[in-house]
Amino acid sequence: MKRNLRFTLALLAAKLSVFCLRLIGRKGTNLPGGIAIFLCKDFLGRMPRPETIVGITGTNGKTTVANMVEDVLERLGYDFVCNRTGSNVDTGVASALIASSTLWGKPKKRLAVFELDERSANLTMSYIKPDLLLVTNIFRDSYKRNAHPEFIVDILNRFVPDSTRLVLNADDLMCASLKPGSVRSYFSIDPQPEEEPSGENIVQDVRACPKCGALLEWETRRYHHIGRARCPQCGLSSPQGECRAAEVGERDMLVEMGGEAVRLPLSNRSMINVYNSLAAAALLYAFGLAPEKIAGAMAHTAISASRYLEEEVNSRKVILHLAKGQNPVACSRAFQNIRDYPGKKAAILFLDDYFDAMHTVENISWLYDADFEFLADDSVTQVVAAGARHWDVYLRLLMAGAKEERLAHLPETEEAAGALRLGEADAVFILYDVYTIGLANRVKEQVKELMKKEGSRG
Amino acid sequence: MSMTIEALFPEKCNLFGDLFNVKYLQKCLPDARRVDTPLTGEPVFAGQRVDLVYLGPMSERTQEQVIAKLRPYRERLDQLIEEGAAFLLTGNAVEVFGRWIERENGERLQGLGLLPLTAKQDMMHRHNSVFLGQWQGQEVIGFKSQFTMAWPEEGAQGLFSVTKGVGLNKTCGFEGLRQGNLFATYLLGPVLPLNPCFAKSLLGAMGAPEAELAFAPAAEAAYAQRVKDFHEKIG
Repeated sequence: MKRNLRFTLALLAAKLSVFCLRLIGRKGTNLPGGIAIFLCKDFLGRMPRPETIVGITGTNGKTTVANMVEDVLERLGYDFVCNRTGSNVDTGVASALIASSTLWGKPKKRLAVFELDERSANLTMSYIKPDLLLVTNIFRDSYKRNAHPEFIVDILNRFVPDSTRLVLNADDLMCASLKPGSVRSYFSIDPQPEEEPSGENIVQDVRACPKCGALLEWETRRYHHIGRARCPQCGLSSPQGECRAAEVGERDMLVEMGGEAVRLPLSNRSMINVYNSLAAAALLYAFGLAPEKIAGAMAHTAISASRYLEEEVNSRKVILHLAKGQNPVACSRAFQNIRDYPGKKAAILFLDDYFDAMHTVENISWLYDADFEFLADDSVTQVVAAGARHWDVYLRLLMAGAKEERLAHLPETEEAAGALRLGEADAVFILYDVYTIGLANRVKEQVKELMKKEGSRG
Repeated sequence: MSMTIEALFPEKCNLFGDLFNVKYLQKCLPDARRVDTPLTGEPVFAGQRVDLVYLGPMSERTQEQVIAKLRPYRERLDQLIEEGAAFLLTGNAVEVFGRWIERENGERLQGLGLLPLTAKQDMMHRHNSVFLGQWQGQEVIGFKSQFTMAWPEEGAQGLFSVTKGVGLNKTCGFEGLRQGNLFATYLLGPVLPLNPCFAKSLLGAMGAPEAELAFAPAAEAAYAQRVKDFHEKIG
């Protein structure tokens, strides 16, 4: 698309807003991009693009993976523009490009790395045309925005340009089947010797072969539809990854990339983290970095503290764990992490959607897609549900088989710590949504106080 | 003899926690037998009367498969509905039993033609809303999240009357359709545990009016809080 008068006016107005925002000490907002797109709907298509654009999309893990990729590139001396401080929709991408361009829009940097919302692919990808795109996975997400996974697959198939080189999750058949005609590479985790089947999850969006519809057979099913499968009827099977985790250890994993084997560090052994680290490595490898360079730089990256944080008080742990509301898969993963964490655990749940809780009655159907059954495990000593929909969470927990005497629920989120009985719990998990990190931190401090008061259990 | 609940195509028709309608009924009727019929299988209702047939929401492509699968059983379904067998259809499963679904390009996907209703898709504008209606003098609350609006034919019997929110379409005074003991609603997700009064009626239609609601105190309290919040925040 060529520049036109409307684009030029939109760019200048956006630049003026950047200047004004700087004057008042604000940065990292989506306002400039919002203004530009308001004035010129196809602004992103007309904005001169950096020489290379790398995109990261998918239902879960894209922020974590984008942060890892950016950290590695930064460590290796790359100069690039990204939307880390802004949003992952069109206005965030436009704001980042505007901020990193001359007055007339010429890019100041040759490389861009963007986290891209999968639902908004029609507003971003068809315009910026990423050269390289990582898709972490495709899962059921917010019913309101994302409807169902097939809808997201259709959007990606339609709006990701044919020229974009893809890096896909081979262990997610829905993801692996995207844009069959496009150039692609895969990442995958080999079945691990001590790996135990995860059991049934409520949400299992790929039960049938995407090609012929027959029920799939699973070599390994890690969670939901993530694993290695084959179709007994037509022979379709999970593709082999060019970037493969051969051995997953406690603190690192052995990854084979292009005939070379390197050890990549892991912050913990949770499969979600393994997939995130592997996805980042696969993207960096497809970008052209040598495996040993990736491994060296990844040793200095960590999972963002806004998503998972452990602190210890008197030999007990308090753990902040992101569990995005209205995203049943993200919550199920968090619930399973609680069950699988060593020792006895208690959990405080802040699952309400922050905005819905204020203005409406949240559609809580998603609670019935999330595996609360993990929290009915005997190792979970107490679950405290707090917030506007506390009765609904309580009912769901009862339906999951949780014992009534192990449950507490209350409307006031700030008082959740008061309902906590530390008892024999070795760890207290606080599950929160993206918008309730402040609340989670305040409650974490209250829980730490309780732990200090109760002293060491030993 | 124990009751039989048939869930149709649960591997595909279960997008919003909907199978908990069946799980809740199982909790209310501990002796009931649940049969999950996959798309590749033969429906149980074809050969015997079941006490409830349940069909939940599905993707737009799956709608085509489900209609094709059920078309050979159309007469049998018609007969069961006439005889008063209980059915629960939630979300866009309603459309499968309707006359047709109009795509964005104007093409029409013919439904089973068992319910007097047509639907029109708009895939880039998803409708999301909270619904409050009346069911036999009591309030029913639920959620809608859909790509379609539907239009009933003259004389169609609505399921819930609209108190606030959107019915079958933005001007329709009722939500869902009822035909004998067939209950069809666009409300999605776990409609039954979320609405104890409606769950009780469905149990009655299934021939178990005396059945106790499972987790009744918690379900009633959660329902009351939701209705209260609706009146305070929306109504």
